Amino acid sequence: MALDFALIAHQESWRAAADVLAVLRGPGRAPIPDADLKEIFPWFPPRAVCHIEHRSVLGHSVHGIYIDSFIPPDRLGFAHRSENIERVRAAAACAIKAGARIVSLGGFSSILIEGDSDLLPEKGETVFTTGNTLTVAFVVQGVKKACGLQGRDMSEATLLIVGATGDVGTGCARCLAPLVNRVVLNARNIDRLRSLAEELSAGGTAVDIATDLQQLSVQADIVICVASLESPSLLLGRLGPNAIICDAGYPKNLSPDDGLEGCTVFFGGLGQSLGGMSFEPDVHRVLHRHPFPNVGQGCVMEGMVLALERRFEPFSQGRGFITPERVQEIESIAARHGIHLAPLYNGQGPLEEVPSQREELAG
Amino acid sequence: MEVVTSPKCSTASDADAACSTASIWQDVLAQAVTGELVAVLNYTSLAGICQGPNEVADALEHAESERGHASAFTAEGKKLGIEVPNNVNAKYWKRLRSAFLRQIEGRDFVACLIIQEVMLESFAVASYKRVGQVAPGSLGTTFAAIAAEEEDHIDHAMSILRAARAVNVQRFDDKVHELHVEVMGILGQMFAREDGDGHCELCHAACVKQSLPVVGLASSELRGASLQHYLRTLDLLGLPGEMTLVWATQLPV
Repeated sequence: MALDFALIAHQESWRAAADVLAVLRGPGRAPIPDADLKEIFPWFPPRAVCHIEHRSVLGHSVHGIYIDSFIPPDRLGFAHRSENIERVRAAAACAIKAGARIVSLGGFSSILIEGDSDLLPEKGETVFTTGNTLTVAFVVQGVKKACGLQGRDMSEATLLIVGATGDVGTGCARCLAPLVNRVVLNARNIDRLRSLAEELSAGGTAVDIATDLQQLSVQADIVICVASLESPSLLLGRLGPNAIICDAGYPKNLSPDDGLEGCTVFFGGLGQSLGGMSFEPDVHRVLHRHPFPNVGQGCVMEGMVLALERRFEPFSQGRGFITPERVQEIESIAARHGIHLAPLYNGQGPLEEVPSQREELAG
Repeated sequence: MEVVTSPKCSTASDADAACSTASIWQDVLAQAVTGELVAVLNYTSLAGICQGPNEVADALEHAESERGHASAFTAEGKKLGIEVPNNVNAKYWKRLRSAFLRQIEGRDFVACLIIQEVMLESFAVASYKRVGQVAPGSLGTTFAAIAAEEEDHIDHAMSILRAARAVNVQRFDDKVHELHVEVMGILGQMFAREDGDGHCELCHAACVKQSLPVVGLASSELRGASLQHYLRTLDLLGLPGEMTLVWATQLPV
């Protein structure tokens, strides 16, 4: 049977990996001991873990699979890049073999087509999207919403983007630069930083760049961390009073507890489906560890959104092509099917009062 | 069983490095030789239920080939000054052989192929490959060469099994699952981190698994690589990956 979509991703912690295997193992069996889990897990070839049905508020639904590439959570770093690309390639081959019409690449997986789509196996009818455009949409919406909740005037704010030259960082910069007073771009590659700064400056935005956060003297009112920070302390001294921090990295590791007291920290890039999703076997709570139902990363939701719209196209590919117009386009498609910004929350819980989904649908 | 105490370590030959680790190689070779002898017995039994002369000839040829592998491993032991023991009645191997014989009694040719070619050979091929990568000199070469041979002769069995699956997918997959629970369950116990079921009755002293890192091996790698090879073989047969993943997670650890 042909599938509408496939999602390729991996677990970000050993706890999550253990929970996935516990669901598959079934309720009657003791969990796999941690030591055995770490020995066995890396050897699983990429394969489907569950079937997913995603429902549109328009009444129809699409069917797909979640494929785990089984990248061990402690091997996500650069040192394991080649090995991980092979795993993602095998997962992509699995999606193609399953007949998925569109494939979203979550987490680390998107590097496969961000940098070089030739790394993908022979694709046939299957198209791939990084899902980054919808991630940008939800990050930008989240920042605007957080500012609104705080009564913050964005036009007065200094925005710092950590990981600014990646695909998501560049997209966020382009969408938000016209709305703020000043933009500070941080990334490792100075040439790419200069190029982006030039582009944004041409639009009339004041832009600073820095390859090292420690060298920054400005104080940011809004921070978007697209790249996971090695340590939250890198932000200390670079934050204005009551700064708003969007943790859009993967895995998400920022918390007000990390010396960021007084700041509003929220997890960015997440969407919520009002139509709902079903998983078989039911790994929903394991894959989506959020305090609200039917929440997922924008990157993995993009494939489902495009499938619901019957637009089987590589909407997000390559690096640096996300524009405000494309963000608006995917936002509109998502909204049409009842997929919106998820309620804001962080590791400590929700940041806002949230109506139930039933109330929201009735509204 | 005692390790032969006079390993041939007189010169700077390929075998030198192996001499200091003779007792470990003795246990590794004992498992390999016993596995090959069980395969000889299994193929010989299989010949008894084959329907046509070609199948009979094939089964006997395979039995002969496995006998050659057992001899080759024994010869490698001799080069190291090691007498390689074998025991087809050792705990796990006996249970594996019994599982196979039950299918012979039921004259279930397909079930026999699934046990021998898909399950036992997956563990043999993957383990031999790993050993072949780290064992010194001709010992490593022999393990690698036999892994390649085992892999080569699986093609014919795979085409028979694919045809059997095409006749009735559900029945075939149910049968594989039933055999998986029994046979892979035994292999899962055999390759578990600790010998929870007592001594394997092949290692000359304590379980060799804890000593494998001394020769550059790890029982975790052997278990993982074997499981991976098995899952990939099931993929090639056409069994749904999500289903076999669930089976694999349910194995004893």
